[in-house]
Amino acid sequence: MAARINTLDPPSSASSESEIEEMQTDFSEVFPDADVDEEKSGDFYNTPASPITVPYCPRPPSTGSQKSPKSRRQRTTSLNQSAKKSTAESIIRTQHRTIYTAGRPPWYNSEGQKVEPFVIGICGGSASGKTTVAEKIIESLGVPWVTLLSMDSFYKVLNEKQHEIADRNEYNFDHPDAFDFDLLISTLQRLKEGRKVEVPIYNFVTHSRESRTKTMYGANVIIFEGILTFHNPKVVEMLDMKIFVDTDADVRLARRLRRDITQRGRDLDGVLKQYTSMVQPSFNHYIAPLMSHADIIVPRGGENEVAIQLIVQHVHTQLQLRGLKLREELAQAYAINKQPRPDTVKLLPTTPQIRGLHTFIRNKDTPRDEFIFYSKRLIRLVIEYTLSLMSFVDKTVETPQGVLYHGKRMATSNICGVSILRAGETMEQAVCDVCKDIRIGKILIQTNLQTGEPELYYLRLPKDIKDYKVILMDATVATGAAAMMAIRVLLDHDVLESNILIVSLLMAESGVQSIAYAFPKVQIVTTAIDPEINDKFYVLPGIGNFGDRYFGTEPSDC
Amino acid sequence: MGSQDIELNYGYELCKEYKGLHILYTHHQVKELQTILRDKNTSRSDFKFYADRLIRLVIEDSLNQLPFTDCKVITPTGATYNGLKYRSGNCGVSIVRSGEAMEQGLRDCCRSIRIGKILVESDADTHEARVVYARFPEDIAQRYVLLMYPIMSTGNTVSKAINVLKEHGVKEECIVLSNLFCTPQAVQAVLDSYPKMKILTSEVHPVAPNHFGQKYFGTD
Repeated sequence: MAARINTLDPPSSASSESEIEEMQTDFSEVFPDADVDEEKSGDFYNTPASPITVPYCPRPPSTGSQKSPKSRRQRTTSLNQSAKKSTAESIIRTQHRTIYTAGRPPWYNSEGQKVEPFVIGICGGSASGKTTVAEKIIESLGVPWVTLLSMDSFYKVLNEKQHEIADRNEYNFDHPDAFDFDLLISTLQRLKEGRKVEVPIYNFVTHSRESRTKTMYGANVIIFEGILTFHNPKVVEMLDMKIFVDTDADVRLARRLRRDITQRGRDLDGVLKQYTSMVQPSFNHYIAPLMSHADIIVPRGGENEVAIQLIVQHVHTQLQLRGLKLREELAQAYAINKQPRPDTVKLLPTTPQIRGLHTFIRNKDTPRDEFIFYSKRLIRLVIEYTLSLMSFVDKTVETPQGVLYHGKRMATSNICGVSILRAGETMEQAVCDVCKDIRIGKILIQTNLQTGEPELYYLRLPKDIKDYKVILMDATVATGAAAMMAIRVLLDHDVLESNILIVSLLMAESGVQSIAYAFPKVQIVTTAIDPEINDKFYVLPGIGNFGDRYFGTEPSDC
Repeated sequence: MGSQDIELNYGYELCKEYKGLHILYTHHQVKELQTILRDKNTSRSDFKFYADRLIRLVIEDSLNQLPFTDCKVITPTGATYNGLKYRSGNCGVSIVRSGEAMEQGLRDCCRSIRIGKILVESDADTHEARVVYARFPEDIAQRYVLLMYPIMSTGNTVSKAINVLKEHGVKEECIVLSNLFCTPQAVQAVLDSYPKMKILTSEVHPVAPNHFGQKYFGTD
């Protein structure tokens, strides 16, 4: 590892890139032309354009290009072996040119509670092939949502003196003291809880953390790799499966020599000195003994197909045990236990206007311009009603007539809208018309046609969303599966459950029940609740496919 | 906040007394809009923004007062929805100038509704209101009329306008006044003279924000 000092090139053994691509593919799916650089730089949430004040949310024109090439080169936690990168990219490309296959499936059960991800720890000496093993596992797993966390992100920030030592190639990066285990443990813990984390980006030139961080999410499978992954007992406890990659010392030295000399232009003596004085002793003292913690020892690293197949089989079994048929379960759960409507459900008073508007938009013969016009009116009403559910405080103002007026003021100015694409987008305009300069986030959830399950493809939220009241918008809610996924995403971003309002034009009774049961503090606002859902998960009598009717993308045979 | 309760009571007491008076359901968010409009420190752009929001709410609620019939429609899923249909033959009439601020709100709800206008001026010396100009759809006598006037402090102007409508054959029970702020005296004056009509307002308060028209149109 010491070989990494002073190099501008990202070290090849550090490898969090693949998971960023893997994972953020899912978010960028709807933007096939999304510039991968931006995703790679990891500041998906930190781009200045991410808090959005306009109803319509284009990607920032060229966030990627704002970064100097230098800062990109300094990123240490990236996979820079071009062959690997291009495979990862080509997978992404083919995926979003074809059907949506890469959305994130539910990571919580039908009660909205999170299911713990499966955490794999990979340990092994420098240049033992940990990254290759991790990648082979990801490849063979075929699970679309995997997070790969590298221990290299957690190197300690060096002080001036240590910096000088490092400059002389004498700082021991292979020693446990070189790592910030506290941060590592809290990060891994959050990932395991399915929450969003900001992973530091370690700069090997300045030996400090860059101001930017990389945003990562919990996933169904988390792979954590590094030279000392089994060193800390708390970390070991969090790992569901522990793999030690045991590659012959000669092979490791040979790889290291080749890498440092041919790829990084270092001289033979320097590399050997480092190896004998620090890398080799550290391996013997700290890394090799960790083998005893391992569940599986993989000799020869990534070439060992048999071992990898065994690992993959085991992970599959474990995932199946935790697997879920969410939507079906939701529909069934309702059929079994009908309950009184909880009081977090706020139904607009059914005035003649509301019924009149529903008459227009429910009628299958309503032409599209009228459909849009009347649904907009209805949306405006439901948004105004939603605002009335916020908390208010007294306010006294002076009037031009010279008397004081005792009025009210909304207690919070931190309100943001989040729309569930596509149908929820139709409600953004109304939110912007009612709240000046409101920030709008977006979440794309699509139903997988094969499994009928909702899948998460893309999300972009205001960065400090945890401080906001969130108006979550979707035009219709049937089983509530998509809405629950969106609520889960918000909770994973630390939004308080009581700060979420899910707003829609029409909900099915069962969807209302499921959401209210899973998230008892979320307020549910709608203009009408219909009694049933048909076997295609459409609400009855319903509106039909709201998005298709609004955007004019109905299948032609209808 | 004792005074606040008293202010609210104006409305409730009057509602009991006058069946024709309807007050927009006052949740705090409507109160917030009213507070902003009454605040003398509100900027003009804010004023217009929040006035338009309040107007929209008042108009939507006024439309609830118009007649409708039940009807059934088939939804795209093939099921039947028991809905209702508004009768055609409504029209809007705005009282120039401040009433015109509400026209856009009405247009946003009813795209092709006919809108008539009345100009009432009060004599500088006698404070007597007189009608200077009136232009209506020809068949206004057969229509329901949504009369728009945001601020009513004495009710003189509105009374004049209603007189003109009645002269054109509009039935008293077919008139709905859409109003943002009115005083108790104005409610009494208008509904005592025209008991069959309806008033829909967002607030009944002894002090009317008379600066509304000036500030909305920026002529203050």
